[in-house]
Amino acid sequence: MNPITTDRRHFEDLALGEEVALGSITVTKEMIVSFAREFDPFPFHLDEEAARRSLLGGLASSGWQTAGLTLRLLTDGFLTRIASAGGLGFSNLKWKRPVMKNDTITGTARIIELRRSRQHPQWGVLTVDLDMRNQHGQPVMSMKLANLVETRHPEGAPQKLGAAS
Amino acid sequence: MTRWFEDITLDEAFPLGSHTFTEDEIVRFAAQYDPQYFHLRGTGAEHSHFGGVIASGWHTVVVGHRKMVDALAVEEQRLRGLGQEPGVSGPGAAVNRMDFKAPVRPGDTVTYTLVVSAKRPSNSLPGWGILTNQITALNQRGESVYHAELIGFSKLRDFKMPLRQRILEALTSIPGFRKLLTRWS
Repeated sequence: MNPITTDRRHFEDLALGEEVALGSITVTKEMIVSFAREFDPFPFHLDEEAARRSLLGGLASSGWQTAGLTLRLLTDGFLTRIASAGGLGFSNLKWKRPVMKNDTITGTARIIELRRSRQHPQWGVLTVDLDMRNQHGQPVMSMKLANLVETRHPEGAPQKLGAAS
Repeated sequence: MTRWFEDITLDEAFPLGSHTFTEDEIVRFAAQYDPQYFHLRGTGAEHSHFGGVIASGWHTVVVGHRKMVDALAVEEQRLRGLGQEPGVSGPGAAVNRMDFKAPVRPGDTVTYTLVVSAKRPSNSLPGWGILTNQITALNQRGESVYHAELIGFSKLRDFKMPLRQRILEALTSIPGFRKLLTRWS
């Protein structure tokens, strides 16, 4: 029994197709520059003049910062409310449009697959489709993210819940 | 890549360097981007199946990205030192796959390597090539921490821009014109 996760939703409590509305976050110039200085120090993420002259046309967040902020919204709105046992990775991540200074991003996470782990009956694998948008409703980033979730009944017969098309 | 599209050799290992993760930086990143109990101090990480604090997978990935930015800057200097004009790399476009394979614990050292596994000229962006980049990240015991397949861009050296595109590029450098364009699209 894990005292940290015992009162949270477990694998059995999640439903295919369930949609979680994420919170929102506004990306300031200070956030863009401080992330870029640490993880993505290209001139077009650090300096407004260089940004204006670049393909981005103005100061925009690093794609990895957009991903990190999305992870934060997903953690606050979903992963800390379920018995998460760690991330497995992600696939089909697409940066669709730059997130510019003072843009506000939000989005949804939709459960598209739930399956029990064959080798580790104490876990299930959860896959969510993440669709992030800016304040104009335009898509900025999407991905499929896979995460382990503790099961309530590890001994339960493995059942395949299948994937949404 | 900071080499021209034409100069990029497939399946050549390009070392990106190593990074040792301290508990302080693991916790600091997690507090900002991934505040789950097994990435933080004093929140019961010992109760997780990891048995203690581990780095967010995303933290190990963005540090890998930083290592790549730095390594490409060094490569650019090296090419200039040889009297060559370095190529131009474009922004990242997509990540096909990112598989977290083993946890990174405080004190672990991760070594990153980039391999370009495929390249082709872009159809939609004339003058640019599309690269398939494989990133491997190994810990100090040689175990894979993550493997990633990313899509990136690199400029073609031998490309003559058609007149129509040259005019469009000149127009987009006029302040305000880009705004008009994005409003239309």
